[in-house]
Amino acid sequence: MTESNPLSPMKARITEIQQMTDIEKLIKLRFQNKTDASNFKYMPGQFIKLGVMGVGEAPISICTSQSDEPGLELCIRNAGRVTKALHNLNVGNTIWIRGPYGNGFPMEAIEGKDLLLVAGGLGIAPIRGVLQYALHHRELFGEISFLYGVRCYDLMLFKDEILDYFRHGDEKGVKLYLSYEDESDKVCYDLSCERDDRCTQGMVTKLFSMLDSKSNNSVSLIGGPPIMYKFTVRELEKMGFQPDEVYMTLERRMRCGVGQCGHCIVGTGKSIKYVCKDGPVFTLWDAMNTKGMI
Amino acid sequence: MTESLYKVITKEELSQFGYALRETGTIYAPVKTSKESHSFKQVDTLTEADLEYHRTMIPPKKFFISPKETIFTFNKEKEEYNETPAVNEPLVLFGVHPCDINALNLLAKVYLESFTDKYYSERRENTTIIGISCTPDEYCFCKSTGTDYAREGFELFLHDIGDRYLVRVGSLKGYNLLQKHASLFREVTEEDLSLYRQAEKKRLASFTKSLEMSGLQDMLDMSYNSPIWEEYGEKCLCCGSCNLVCPRCRCYDVQDYIDLNLNTGQRERKWYSCMLKEHGLVAGGHNFRATSAERLRNRVNCKGSLKEDMTNCVGCGRCSAYCPAGIDYVEILQKIRGDIE
Ligand SMILES: Cc1cc2nc3c(=O)[nH]c(=O)nc-3n(C[C@H](O)[C@H](O)[C@H](O)COP(=O)(O)OP(=O)(O)OC[C@H]3O[C@@H](n4cnc5c(N)ncnc54)[C@H](O)[C@@H]3O)c2cc1C
Ligand code: SF4
Ligand code: SF4
Ligand code: FES
Repeated sequence: MTESNPLSPMKARITEIQQMTDIEKLIKLRFQNKTDASNFKYMPGQFIKLGVMGVGEAPISICTSQSDEPGLELCIRNAGRVTKALHNLNVGNTIWIRGPYGNGFPMEAIEGKDLLLVAGGLGIAPIRGVLQYALHHRELFGEISFLYGVRCYDLMLFKDEILDYFRHGDEKGVKLYLSYEDESDKVCYDLSCERDDRCTQGMVTKLFSMLDSKSNNSVSLIGGPPIMYKFTVRELEKMGFQPDEVYMTLERRMRCGVGQCGHCIVGTGKSIKYVCKDGPVFTLWDAMNTKGMI
Repeated sequence: MTESLYKVITKEELSQFGYALRETGTIYAPVKTSKESHSFKQVDTLTEADLEYHRTMIPPKKFFISPKETIFTFNKEKEEYNETPAVNEPLVLFGVHPCDINALNLLAKVYLESFTDKYYSERRENTTIIGISCTPDEYCFCKSTGTDYAREGFELFLHDIGDRYLVRVGSLKGYNLLQKHASLFREVTEEDLSLYRQAEKKRLASFTKSLEMSGLQDMLDMSYNSPIWEEYGEKCLCCGSCNLVCPRCRCYDVQDYIDLNLNTGQRERKWYSCMLKEHGLVAGGHNFRATSAERLRNRVNCKGSLKEDMTNCVGCGRCSAYCPAGIDYVEILQKIRGDIE
């Protein structure tokens, strides 16, 4: 983004591509311009508009946490016109970026708390950034539990990392819990045999029974498809989470990302919000005040 | 500085002032385009304008956010793009009503507050806005929305008080303009003030449409699942006219166009409508506002919401006046309030 116009993108180059599943790729990229790189400061949960000239732009979560390493990582699902064009790019190709946009998760405000992270499907992209941030500043947070729900092993994102946390997370400071929906999934079944206190067949909500009771100093940060929120929130409420202790990141159609184009609007006369600018991270209390949010 | 910020100009001298304003910029003023309709068009002299108009179909937002504009052109091979420079032609918008001035003030918040849109900011800087008072017709309800008075967002404002205008200065730019043409203006007398009082009394008494605003936001919230949305959603053609004519609607779409050489092209931004089906559609085919009832509910709630102390609707009456299905925005809200059945 240049000073003059919020819709003007910065140039970046793809440095690495990993095929994660049939429909999802991890794309690593680096800014072409040094000042763009050094000015780009972000928090987990923020997103960018990622563009291909001649095709258009799509909002994509930054799935890393800011570290000294230059460059960004993005997990992209082939879901339509722009994302398909992004999937057709190769290492060395140019890609255009605007951002970072949105509020992100309030990492500083929740320092000192126990974190319960819940991710389903592609919702792991922003939550991975949260986890990286928390592990990077491990001393600033209490217990970290991470619930990840997948449909099956083939659709699991960040497989190596997830398996590493599954087996060695406790030493690194995060307890990983895994759920899988497909009953016939052999790999996941083996994982559930390996640690039946950490992995089970079913929806992500099934993992809640494996958790210790809520500490009086914990917050939950969740990312997933809309349907997941309804059920997850119910479990969190049962555990005793207050509405301002639950943070979730929302998805809407977005054109501008800067609160101008109106596409991401939610709410009523009392509570209109723009997901790109006022969110994409909202608390459950925000959702209770804003009809249609979840 | 003791110079008064109120002056008087006679109607005769106003045309001279209009003539002189050509030095300031190209003049656009409301011109009668058919029996029922007006449009802001370029004029040479104010005699071409109809300063007693009720409303233009397209609001003056068109001067600040173009219905369609190229943000940049790109060249894929060269891996570069060129931003389209903002057009810097100085403009004079003559005869803008208070509702439209207030709408522009709210639009400026959207376009200038957190991320400055250079097109909007440069165009506003290059524009001189001369406001004018008006008499309401059967669609106007700006008194209810508190937008029948413009406090700021203009250079000069003309209050029609008979054979002359009371002139209010709204900005330093307006003050300097007035200084420059000082010989056309004179000080306000007791008689002018009394004429202004009478004119205001008459104007305020002539509103026929009204909407009680107090508590409306909560009533809208509690009516989220009301059958009203279905009732009006069924009538609505989802044509998007109401968005097009609304001085407060600002939704836009961004699209890329590529030339036949598959190398060069442009990214465009154009006015868009929340009443169109694609507005809430996301990947995977889910649509957050799939039905016309949901989209209408969203539009009415968006307009009925508060932006600071002002509603997002300025009561100009355009959406009702130009809806091909005859949907009356105020009527919907009166039903929400329970004022009518
Ligand atoms: C804050 C945020 C973060 C996100 N993070 C990620 C992420 O990390 N990774 C990720 O993969 N995704 C992410 N997404 C989702 C991603 O933005 C969408 O998948 C993407 O915008 C799809 O764009 P597209 O051009 O590929 O699809 P589109 O082609 O725009 O398709 C979108 C939908 O619109 C429909 N459609 C498109 N054009 C038309 C038309 N002309 N007429 C009718 N229907 C049409 C399509 O059928 C489809 O259902 C995020 C979204 C948000 C809001
Ligand atoms: S102008 Fe009338 S018919 Fe058209 S979208 Fe608006 S409410 Fe519906
Ligand atoms: S909603 Fe209707 S009455 Fe209100 S500002 Fe827009 S067009 Fe005018
Ligand atoms: S994406 Fe444009 S207003 Fe939110």
